[in-house]
Amino acid sequence: MTTYLSLMLLFPLLGGAFIALFGRVLPRRLVEALACAAVWGSFACAALAALAYDAPHKVELARWVTAFDLAIPLSLYIDPLSLALAVMIGFVCGLIHVYSVFYMADEAGYARFFALLNLFVFAMLTLVLAENLVLLYLGWEGVGFCSYLLIGFWYTDKANADAGRKAFITTRIGDTALVIAIAWLFQLFGTLSISRLNGMAFLVPGGIITAIGLLFLVGAMGKSAQVPLMVWLPDAMAGPTPVSAMIHAATMVTAGVYLLARMFPLIGGSAVVTAAIAVTGGVTAFYGASCALAQRDLKRVLAFSTISQIGYMMLGVGAGAVTAATFHLLVHAFFKALLFLGAGCVISALHHEQDIFKMGGLRRTLPLTFWPFLAGAACLAGLPLTGGFFSKDGILAALWLKGSALYFGLYLLGLATALLTAFYSFRMVYLVFFGANGHPVSGEGGLRAMQLVLVPLALLGLFGGVLNLPAYLGGGFLDGFFAHLAGGTTPEGSRMEEIALQGVAGVLALAGLLGAHLRYGGAAREARLKEAALPATPLTAFLLNGWYFDRLYHACLIRPYQALSGVLWQDVDEGVIDDTLDRLAAGLGTSGSWLGRWSTGRVSLYLLSFAAGGALILGYLAWLSL
Amino acid sequence: MTVPLYHVLILAAILFAMGLACTVAWRANVIMMLIGIEIMLNAVMLTFVGGSAQWGMADGQIFSLMLMALTSAEVSLALAMVVYLHRRKQSVNTDDFDSMKG
Amino acid sequence: MEAILFYLLAAVTLIGTLCAITARQAVRAIVYLVTSFFSLALIFYLLGAPLVAAFEVIIYAGAIMVLFLFVIMMLDLGHPEKMETPRLGDWWPALLLLAAILGSLVILAAGHPQAPNTGFVEVTVRQFSQALFQRYGVAVEIISMQLLFALVGALYLGRRR
Repeated sequence: MTTYLSLMLLFPLLGGAFIALFGRVLPRRLVEALACAAVWGSFACAALAALAYDAPHKVELARWVTAFDLAIPLSLYIDPLSLALAVMIGFVCGLIHVYSVFYMADEAGYARFFALLNLFVFAMLTLVLAENLVLLYLGWEGVGFCSYLLIGFWYTDKANADAGRKAFITTRIGDTALVIAIAWLFQLFGTLSISRLNGMAFLVPGGIITAIGLLFLVGAMGKSAQVPLMVWLPDAMAGPTPVSAMIHAATMVTAGVYLLARMFPLIGGSAVVTAAIAVTGGVTAFYGASCALAQRDLKRVLAFSTISQIGYMMLGVGAGAVTAATFHLLVHAFFKALLFLGAGCVISALHHEQDIFKMGGLRRTLPLTFWPFLAGAACLAGLPLTGGFFSKDGILAALWLKGSALYFGLYLLGLATALLTAFYSFRMVYLVFFGANGHPVSGEGGLRAMQLVLVPLALLGLFGGVLNLPAYLGGGFLDGFFAHLAGGTTPEGSRMEEIALQGVAGVLALAGLLGAHLRYGGAAREARLKEAALPATPLTAFLLNGWYFDRLYHACLIRPYQALSGVLWQDVDEGVIDDTLDRLAAGLGTSGSWLGRWSTGRVSLYLLSFAAGGALILGYLAWLSL
Repeated sequence: MTVPLYHVLILAAILFAMGLACTVAWRANVIMMLIGIEIMLNAVMLTFVGGSAQWGMADGQIFSLMLMALTSAEVSLALAMVVYLHRRKQSVNTDDFDSMKG
Repeated sequence: MEAILFYLLAAVTLIGTLCAITARQAVRAIVYLVTSFFSLALIFYLLGAPLVAAFEVIIYAGAIMVLFLFVIMMLDLGHPEKMETPRLGDWWPALLLLAAILGSLVILAAGHPQAPNTGFVEVTVRQFSQALFQRYGVAVEIISMQLLFALVGALYLGRRR
C-alpha cells in the first residue's frame, strides 16, 4: 500500500519536474508521452491500491517538520473518500492529458503546459491523500498556483494574465481563512493530524467548533467558487480548454467540497455550520443556473454551470449527506469534463469561435462530438436514468428527509435550480448543434482523436448511476463503501417517498427539456438568433453579467483600495517620505550656500570674523577660570 | 618704583583692546587699519618690557626690540602695498578689493 | 612719586590713543599717535628700559610714523572730509569686541595670584647688549636679513612701470 501511494504521488511530481527542466530540449512526442505516462501510471497505482484496499490506513512516508511541539510528518491517509477521489482524478486527468496532446498541437510552449499539468495532478493528489492539515494545505496552495499559471498560460495577452491574477487573489481570501483555522486548531489541540482531529470534536465548546467550521467554509468558498467568492471562475475560462476541463470542472474546484467532507466529523456537529454550508450551496446553485441562462460564450455557460453544480455538492454536505455529495462529485467530474472537452472540440473545429449564437448545424458535421455532448448535457440536466439523475436526486432526497423548514426551503430552491439546469443545458445543445448548416468546419486529424476521448467519459456519465443506485433498485455501492464515514449513512426514507422524489425531479428535468425545445428548437431557433443580435434586455444583461457581482466588488472593494493605495503612494510615500528627504537635502544645500556667503572676498569681513573668533576664545578661557 | 606689574598689564590690555577696536571699526580704510595694528604692537611691547622689569632679565626688552624691527619691515611692505593698490583702483577702501570672493 | 608719574603718563597714552582712533583725518590720527608713543617711551624709561625707550622714539615715532605720513600725502587721497569715517553701525562690533577682550583679560589676570611687589629692576645698557649679542646673536642676523627682504619687497611693489 505504501508503495502504491508513494508512487501515485511520485509519478506526476517527477514527470512535472523533469519536463520543466528538460522539456524544451527533448523531442515533442517524448515530452507528451512522458506526461501522459506519468498520469496514467498514477492512475494505475490508484487502481491497484483500490484493489488491495481493506480498511482505512495511515502511511507515514517521512518526517517533514519537527519543531518543539509541532510535528508534521509527510503522512498519507487512504480511506474510501480519498481512494474514490484519487481513482477519479487519475482517470479523468489521464484522459485530459491525452486530449491536450492533440488540442495543443500547435502550441509552442508545450513543455511548460505539460509540466504544469503534471504538477497540478501531483498537488491535487497530495491534497486528497494528505493525512495532516499542513500537507493538505500544501496541495491546496499547489493547485491554486498551478491554476494561476495555467489560466494565464497565454500571458502575453493582458486579459489572460488579469484572469489568472483574479483567480489567485480571490482564492487567497479563502486560503487566509483556512490558515487561520489551521493555526487555531493547532492552538486548541496541539496536533494537526486529520484522523486525530476528527475524533476530538467533543472536547471544545460548540461556539469554537462553529467558528472553525465557518472558517473552513470560507476557505472552501474561495477554492470552490461559491458565492460570494465565485467571481474568478467565469474569467478563468481564458485558459486553454483542457485546463478548464481539468481544473475548473473536475478537480480543483471540488477541493473545497472535499475539505468539508474530510473535516465533517469535526465541524458537522454544529448546526450553524451545516446550515451555513447548505445555504451557501443553495444560493450558489441558483445563482449559477440563472446566470448560465443568459451567457453567450460556450465556455462561460459551462463555467456558471460548474458553479451551480458545486453548489449542489455543498448542499449535500450541508444536509449531512456526504455520500450523496461525493457521488455527485464523481459523476459531475465525468460529465463536466466531457462537456468541456466537447466544447473544446467544437471550438477548435470552428477556428476558435466561442459565441453559441454563431454556431449551428454541427449535428451533421461533427457527429462524433454531438452524441457524447448530448449524453453529457442529459447528465447535467438530470434526465431520468442518467448518472446525473441519481446523484442529484440523492442530494435532493437528503434535503427533503432532513425535515426542518430551512432545508425544505433549500429543497425547493434545489428543484427550481434543477429546472433551470435542464433548460440551459438543452439551450446550449440546441443553439450549438441544431439548425441549418452554415458554418465551415475544419476537420484535422487531431480532431478525431479528441473526439474519441469523449467516448469513455460519456459512458461513465451515462452509466455512472450504477455507483449508487437507490435502495429500491438494489442498494448503493457507494453507500456501503462510505458507510463508516461520518455523514456517510444516508437517511433512508420510505420506498414511496423515494420514488415520489425521483418522480418530481425527473418531471422537472423533462419539463426543462421541453421548454428548451419550444424556445430554441426548430423554427423558434431562428427567432432567437435574431433576438440575440439586438441589445440585451435589463434582465438578460443582469444575468449575463453575473448579477453584476464584478461591478459590486469593483465599487466596494477595488476602487477604495486603489484610492487608498493612490493616497499612500503619492501623499505618504512620495509626499512624506520622499519629500522629507528631498527637503532635508535641499535644506542642507541652502544652509551650505548660506554659510558660503561668509566668503565675500572682503578683508573687512574676514578681519571682523578673526577678531570675533579671538574674542570668543579669550572669553571662553576667562569663563573657565571663573 | 613700586607700581604693581598688574597695573602695567592692565594698561597694556587697554591699549591692545583699543588697537583692536580701531582695526575693527576702521575696517573699511587700509591706513587706519594699519595704525590700529601699530597700537596693538605697542601694547605687546609694553607687556614685554613690564615683564623684563619685573624679573630683571633683558630678554623682554630684546624681544621688544625685535618686535620693533619686524614692525618696521612689515609697515614698509604694507605701505608699499597700499601705494600699489591705490595705483590700481584709486581707492583705499578695503571692500573694493574682493576678487577672492567665493 | 614715580608711581604718580606712571599713572599720569598712562593717562596721556590712553587719551592720545583714543583721540587717534576717533580722528576723522588720517594725518591727525598719526600725530595723536606720535604723542601716545612719546608717553609710552617715557613709561618704558620708567620701567627700566632706556634703550627700548630710545628706540621707540627714534624708530617708531621717528621712522614708522613718518613713513605713514609720507604715504598718506603721496597718495593724495583727495578731500579728507570725504573719507569714509565709520558710523555707529561700524563702531558697535568694535566696542563689543573691546569689552569682550578687555573683560576676559581682566578676569584671567585677576584669577592668578599677584606677583610680589618688589619694585622694578633696571636693566642696564651693558646687560642688554650682552644679552642681545651673546644669546640672541643669530636673531640679530636674521632680523637684518628680514629688513633686507622688506626693502627688496617694497622696492618691487613700488616700482613704476
